[in-house]
Parts: sequence; C-alpha cells; structure tokens
Amino acid sequence: MEKTIGEIRMENRNRVVARWLLGLLLLVLFILPWTLGTYVTWTASNILILALYAAGFNILFGYSGLLSFGQAGFYAIGAYVCAKILLGTSFLLLGFLGGVLAAGLAALIIGFLCTRHTQIYFAMLTLSFGMMIHSIIWKWRDVTGGDDGLVNVPRAPLAIPGLFSIDVSSVESYYYVVLVIVALGIFLLWRMVNSPLGLALQGIRDSEQRVAFSGLSIQKFRLIAFAISGMYAGMAGSLMVPLLKSADPGMAHWTASAEPLMATLLGGIYNFAGPMVGAFILYVAKELIARYTEYWSMVLGFTVVVLVLGFRGGVVSVLQGLLFRRTGTVSKRGVDA
Amino acid sequence: MDFQSLVYQGLIGLSLSMYLWLVAAGLTIAFGILRVLNFAHGSLYMLGAYFAFTLYYSLKLNFWLSMVLAAGLVGIVGLILERFLFRRIYPLEEAYQLILTFGIVLILSDTVKMIWGGVFMIPPMPNIFVGTVNILGRPFPVYNLFVICAGLAVTGLIWLLLERGWWGKTVRATASDREMASALGINTPVLFTTVFILAAVVAGLGGALSIPVRVVAPGVGTAIIVQAFVVTVIGGLGNLKGAFLGALIVGLANAYGILLFPTIELFLIYLLMALVLLVRPKGLLGG
Amino acid sequence: MKRRGLVTLLVLLVSASLLVAGCGQGSGTKATGGASDSKAKELPLGVEVIKIGVQGVLSGSHADYGRQIQMGATLAAEEINGAGGILGSKIELKVMDDELNANVAQKNARYLVSDWGANFIVGTDSSGVALSLGPILKELDTIQIFTHAATEKLTEDLVYKQGIKQIFRTAVPVYQDAIMAAYVFKDMPEVKRFAALNADYEYGHTSWRMFKETLSKFRNDVEFVAEANAPFWTADFTPHLSKLMAAKPDVIFATPWGGEAVMMLRQAVSMGVFEQIDAWWQAMGGSVDVLEGLATDVKRDAFKGKLWGTGRYLHNWPDTPENKAFVKAFQQRWNRYPNYSAETTYSAIYMLKAAIEKSRSIKTGDVIKALEGLKIMTPAGERYIRPEDHQAVYNVPAGRVIFSSDYPIPIVGGDLKIVPADEYYRKPPFN
Repeated sequence: MEKTIGEIRMENRNRVVARWLLGLLLLVLFILPWTLGTYVTWTASNILILALYAAGFNILFGYSGLLSFGQAGFYAIGAYVCAKILLGTSFLLLGFLGGVLAAGLAALIIGFLCTRHTQIYFAMLTLSFGMMIHSIIWKWRDVTGGDDGLVNVPRAPLAIPGLFSIDVSSVESYYYVVLVIVALGIFLLWRMVNSPLGLALQGIRDSEQRVAFSGLSIQKFRLIAFAISGMYAGMAGSLMVPLLKSADPGMAHWTASAEPLMATLLGGIYNFAGPMVGAFILYVAKELIARYTEYWSMVLGFTVVVLVLGFRGGVVSVLQGLLFRRTGTVSKRGVDA
Repeated sequence: MDFQSLVYQGLIGLSLSMYLWLVAAGLTIAFGILRVLNFAHGSLYMLGAYFAFTLYYSLKLNFWLSMVLAAGLVGIVGLILERFLFRRIYPLEEAYQLILTFGIVLILSDTVKMIWGGVFMIPPMPNIFVGTVNILGRPFPVYNLFVICAGLAVTGLIWLLLERGWWGKTVRATASDREMASALGINTPVLFTTVFILAAVVAGLGGALSIPVRVVAPGVGTAIIVQAFVVTVIGGLGNLKGAFLGALIVGLANAYGILLFPTIELFLIYLLMALVLLVRPKGLLGG
Repeated sequence: MKRRGLVTLLVLLVSASLLVAGCGQGSGTKATGGASDSKAKELPLGVEVIKIGVQGVLSGSHADYGRQIQMGATLAAEEINGAGGILGSKIELKVMDDELNANVAQKNARYLVSDWGANFIVGTDSSGVALSLGPILKELDTIQIFTHAATEKLTEDLVYKQGIKQIFRTAVPVYQDAIMAAYVFKDMPEVKRFAALNADYEYGHTSWRMFKETLSKFRNDVEFVAEANAPFWTADFTPHLSKLMAAKPDVIFATPWGGEAVMMLRQAVSMGVFEQIDAWWQAMGGSVDVLEGLATDVKRDAFKGKLWGTGRYLHNWPDTPENKAFVKAFQQRWNRYPNYSAETTYSAIYMLKAAIEKSRSIKTGDVIKALEGLKIMTPAGERYIRPEDHQAVYNVPAGRVIFSSDYPIPIVGGDLKIVPADEYYRKPPFN
C-alpha cells in the first residue's frame, strides 16, 4: 500500500518517540533496585520473567495461531534442569544454558508430534504432553524430589572459570542478571518476528493454502515456532529457579500454562508488545486485587470473558486506538481482530 | 492376580466411567451440534452437586426429588448461560471458545465459594443405599451399582430423545446442515437453547449423583473436566457413541492402572489421549 | 504497526514503572511515621506494635486449614493485646493466602517482611511450600514458626543439617502419623497384615516408609501386603480400596487428609471394608473438619469402632485448665471447635511472646536464642523447643474415633494411647 507523506512523517515521529521512551524505560528498570527496595525489585524480576515467558508463548499463539496448553511443561523442564545443575555445580550460566537446551530439545521432539495438527487437536495434544511431563516430575521422586520439589538451590555466582566471577546472591544483583537476559531475549525475539520467519508464520496463520502454494513447508515453520517458544519457556523457568531457590511440580501443571496465555490475551496477541504489557498488568493487578478480596480469580474470569468477546486485540490495541491516529498501513487484523 | 479381582476391579472402573460419561455426554452433544467446546461444562457438574447438597441435606428433601430438582436447576443455569453468553461464543474459533469458557470456570468456582464457602461438604448416605451386595465372593457397594444403572438409564433416555421422535430429528438435521434447517423453518436459536439445556441437565445430574460418596468442593468441576476432555477426544469429538466408549476406556484404564501399573497411573490417561490423537486424530469412532 | 506497537509498549511500561515507583515511595514513608516515635521509645522494646505475618491456604478445598490458622492467630493476638500486649507493645497481624503455592508463599513472605515490616511470620500448611520458604527466611533473616507443614525435612534437614536457624515448628511432624501408628499396632498382636492407601506425595510416602521401619523394629511377624497411591484431587478411592481388599489386609494405613479423608472413609464404608478389617489407621483423622464430616457415620457405628485417628492436637485432650480455657475462648470467639492448626498457631504466638519477654528484644538473633530450649505451657500441654532442630516436643495421643456425650462432633477418645513424645519423636542426629 502506498504511504502518504503525512503517514511517513508520523512514522518517523513515532520512531523518535520510541527511542526516547525505550531509553527512559531502560533507565527506570536500571535504577529500580536502588530506589524501590527489595520487594519491588523481587516483584519486577517476576514480571520480567513472565514477560519473557509470555512473549515466547505468543510466537506460537499470536504469530502462528496455535494454542498450547503444554507450555508449563517446558517451563518446568527448564527449571528442573537448571536446579539440578546448580545443585551439582555452581555455574549460573551453565544452569541457564542447560535449562534452555533441555527445554528446546524436549520442544523439538514433542513439537514434531504436535505440529502435525492444529486447532483443538493441537491444544489437546500439548495438554497431554504437558501433563505427562508433570506426572514424570511428580513420580520420579529420587531425581525430582516429588512434590517437595528441589529446594535450597543456590543463587550461584555469575562466573566463567578463569575469567571472572560476580556474586549475584542478593535479590538486587540477581535482578540485573534477569534484566539483561530478558532484554536480550526480547531483542532476539523482535529480530525474529521481523525476519522472513516471522512473516512466514503470520502468513501460515492467516492462510495456510496460500503459503502452501508458495512451496514452503508449513509443518517445518510450525515446528520452529514451537521449539523457539519452548526454549523461551525453558529460559523463563531457568531464570525463576535461582530467584525462588527452588523448583516445584506445580510449575508443570496445565493450570500454570494458563499464566502466559492470560498475560498474552490481556496485553494483546497480534502485537509484539502485547504479552509483555499483559504480563505487567496481570501480575500487578493480581497483586493489588488479592490484597482486597479473596475472589480475585472471579475478576480475572470476567476480564477474560470481556476481552475475548469485545477486545480481542487486548489492552495495547485499545490504548493504541486512543493514543495514536491511524496511519492506515495497519492490517485489519492487527487492530480489530 | 486372580480372575475374581480383575472382574471386581472392572466393575469398580465401570462406575467411575459413568460419572465421566455423564459429563462427557453433554460435552459431546454441545460440540457435535452447537460446535462449542465448553471448558465450563465441568462447572455445571459442580453446580449439580452443590444444588443437590442444598436440596437433600440443607432442605431435607427426598433423595430422588433432590436429584431431579438439582438437574433441573442446572438446566435453568444452562438456559441463562446459553441465552446471554454462549450464543455469542458459537461463532468463535475453538481456541477462543476454550479460553472464554475457562474464564467462566473461574467465575463459577468463585461464585460457589461465595455462596457455599470454600469448605468441602458431604451429606450422609441415604438409607436405601447403605450396604453391599455379594459379587464373586466380595461385597460390592450398592451405591456404585446404582450409579452404573442410573448412567445406563440416562444413556437410554438420551438415545430416545435424539434417535426417536421429532425433536431428535430436528436436532440431527440442524447438526448436519444449519442453513438448510433454518430454510426449512426450524427455529435454530430456540433449538440450540434446548440442546444446551439438555447438555447442562445431564452434567448436573452427574454432579448430583456424586454427592453421597464424593465431596462437594469448589474444585470438583475442574478436576473432572480435563478427564472428560480426554474421554471425548479418545472417542471422537462430537461423537456420542465414541464418548461412551471413551468413558469406558478411561474409567477402566484408571481402575486397572491402579491395580496393575501403580507407578504410571497418572501418566496413563494422557498417554492414551496422545496416542489416539497421533494415530487417529478424529478419535476412535470419529469420521 | 510494528513501530506504533513499540511506542505504546514503552508509554505503558514507563508510566507503569512510575506508578509503581510512586506506590513504593508511599509505603516507604508510611513505615517511618514520626509522631508516635517518642511514645515508642519509652516502651522496653522500642516499638509500638510487633508485626506478625500469618500465612496459610485460604482458597481451594483445603481452605479450612488456613482459616483455622487465621482464627488461632487472631484469638491469641486479641487475648495478648487485651492484657496489655508484649511488654507494652501491641501485636498487629496480617493474614495472607499462600494458595498452597511456593511462588505465592515466597511473594507473601517478602511482602510481609520487606514491605509491611513483619517482625515474625507464623503459619504455612504445605510441606513443599515450607521447604521452599526455608532458604528465603534465611535471606530475609526473619523467624517463621511453622504451624502445620509436616515434613520431617523442614527441621531435620533445613534446621539441623543446613543450619537455617530462622525456622521453628510448633506442630508435630510426620512422626505422629507414622511412628505413633507403629506404637499403636505393636501392642495389637492379632493384626498382622498391613496395607497402605498413600497420599501420592512425599507426606504419604514418607509416613508409610517410617511406619514400616518402626513397626518392623518392634515385631517380626508383620506383613506389608499391598499399597495403592492416590494423588491430590482423587475423587474416587474405590479402585484403590478394591485393590487393597483383594490382598485381605487386617489393617489399612491411610494418609489422604481433609475432605479427601472423609470421602475415602465414606467410600470404604460403602464397600463394606469395615466388616473385613480389624483396624483402620487414619493419619490426622482427629482433624476437626474430618470429624465433622464423619459425624453421621460414627453415630450409626459405620466404622464398628475400628477407626483410629490422631492429629497435631486434639481439642478433648489434655484435661487441663489451659486446654479447657482455650477451647472455651475459641468457641466463644468463632463458634467452632479449634482444629489442630488453630492450636499450633495460637501456641506459636504465645511462644513468640514468651521468647520476646525473655530476651526483651525483637531482634531475630535474640529471639532465636530465647526460643531455643524454651519450655512453655500451651493448650496441647507443655511444649519444649529442642534447640538442635527447633522442633516443639509435646504429647499428642492416638485413639479410636468415638462419640462422647460431652461433644456434638465425634472425638478421638477411645483406648487413648499416650506415648511420651521424647520416646517416639526422631532425635538428632537423625540417621
């Protein structure tokens, strides 16, 4: 579609504003532990991790149109492998690496089986594989500690032997580890969705036949999306373990898979920023609501109903509509769907 | 393991199947005819249990009357839900149906918590069901026998409703071609409402039947709905005969899993579901 | 679209962070309110209020246990405040739901300590949650007295072996469910065949293992003939019972608790199990919610007097003025009988009071020292806090579940078996 000069000017302005705001956001996130105390820092770490988890989930859900109820399985694999490594050695990065690779490998294998189907069949398959992972963790007590989980996992130093070793045992210093890894992960994801891969995935979502005609292997792309999404879940799980100093089987249950889903839905699924905004809103809203009423899940339930029926684009779309004039280049689906 | 134990365990499994079947039947009818995947269907089972508890225990009504009234009340809840909410859900993609009905699950669980409190409840066993009958030299609970019979009776009723008589014909016609049906003058919105009510009543009855032996608590709906999904997927989504077969398979797998493979019992039903989906994604009896 | 999405994200996140910053600042200034400082300085402890955070499960099917924790803590705080507080300082409570979830419990603990300013924490139902909290308490350097979680690892591993001194526990751990049971059945020579219906998690498996080990030390004529495992949310125990009954046991040893215990026993009755066995050991069968749930069945003698139960405290024992006063006060305040988690939490608050008065300090290190070796009279009887593992040592009997004309609900009161805690508790060095 041709752009008018006005539209181009608007985009340029938006780009400049974006850079400034990105800078400001990073600054706020950077100084947060110095000014707001341990509890807010700990909460912020949780939100950052959930944001990464949800952003990875949306590669599958928003960009590829596949709803997975088994994401928690990969999250838990990342968490448990990382916990095992940190209980044995004390190299934080090795723990992360192990967690991500294990989750990625599991996602490749399970994804190979699941991505042959779509829609409800895909959802049910991922549910069953996720619950199989859950029951393995629950039952393999010698290795996983059963329902007690793995506890007293150290917040090991950030070290490469012979090169450097940084102590990150305090919540504040570990927060920076989380911040850097999440920022890196989201940057990589941003590059990915704007690469041919991202475009192909959206193409498949919108019209399978059209992409099939162009000679691309649909299942291969779906598998890639599944594996990436699984790795991000594993990364989130690995990051969570040193923060909590423990891993528990509840992490793998299907109800835990609802968490990135809710965050994504709340923020908006057809928008790169959606899941991250959603993660923030979900966490903070739950925190605030739970202080006043024990019925916070009812509030969440109503929110879900309203969002699905009326605002499929989530909070981000609604605000976009309010904050910005349309430039006219947005696909119909991007705003209204 | 001797033969008697295997048969006895099988009968126990059969009674487990019946609860699953009553939930899965409604799930299947709703999916087959209304094309809606209702995650909140387990919550209707839960509501049936709560209504039955109040009628039978708090209001001291007759047991049989409580069962029927509880199922009827769930039917009314179904009517309200269908009129104001589910109507808008039918056109959505399945994934969104799942998410939205999950939202309804959250709302209903908290609602019963507000009304009945979060504490579990269990009424006394009605006198007529106290006792056992001798089967293969071992005492078998009368109540389980009753549940098996009740489940089969409901199956018969559903079959009569759907296969014999005018209503069933209309429903089947609408299920196979909606546009043709409305062109022929069938009032599809009203028909859909009645179908949804039927599905709700059956699930409500399942919940009501459970109260003397299973506790009533806010989480019972979510616990059974996942299993019911497994049942419908194994049998073939939307296929009623398949759902019956699926319920038998899952109930028996559960009972025999506990007897024969205790370490993988939790794993077993999910493995079954995954295998069926991979080999025959449309389910064992799906077209 | 992409750019605009990014801009929106940034606008949102920046404003959100500023919002959080504002809130954080707000609570920061609140904590150091100036006017009352002078009054606080005159008090021996230097603070006007002692803040105690309370955690338990307040939602889901086990919510009654958390509510009992809340009721016990509230009653103790009201009594103490009514009598002038602790050395003039009043107790302030804040109760939070941990949803039986480790992440939520940690969040609560951090909020309570870092944000709300809790000096101490009491509560926690789940063993897994308790274990995950351990290292965090060390990080926060705050004492938590655990009042329900039953895993022996909490005191044996985390306190004794790993030295997390911030952990204490007023409730007896799995020793009660497992070792006490062995003491009951060592004196019943006519029962020989034991089968287990385990709660399929660490609590159930550990109890069964400890029971087998202990009973085998006393007797060499027992057989362990079958076991079945029931996970959380088991709605039907009939397949498990059917499996066990095929092995013709004399005794069933069962660990599912709360609502699941009631349902399991009801199903056992419906299967005629009590006509075929000699005894049923129900761990925590003395829990008030279970007794309430079983009332009609006990009344019609469905268990034939074969049901044995215990708890972490029984409201009908011991027959002391302290216990009577507590049960009476609890009933007046809440119109219910106190469950064990209410008593253990009530006593935890009084233990904190005793320790603070002894050390005249609310500093974690001082209070830990004062709690170690503390002896205190509580409704459940005298409690002694073992300095090595920080476990409160006190007696809880086991017995048959019966009806007594003194109480509207059944009690654990038949053939009461009382064993000195010193004898059946596991002891350091826990080999």
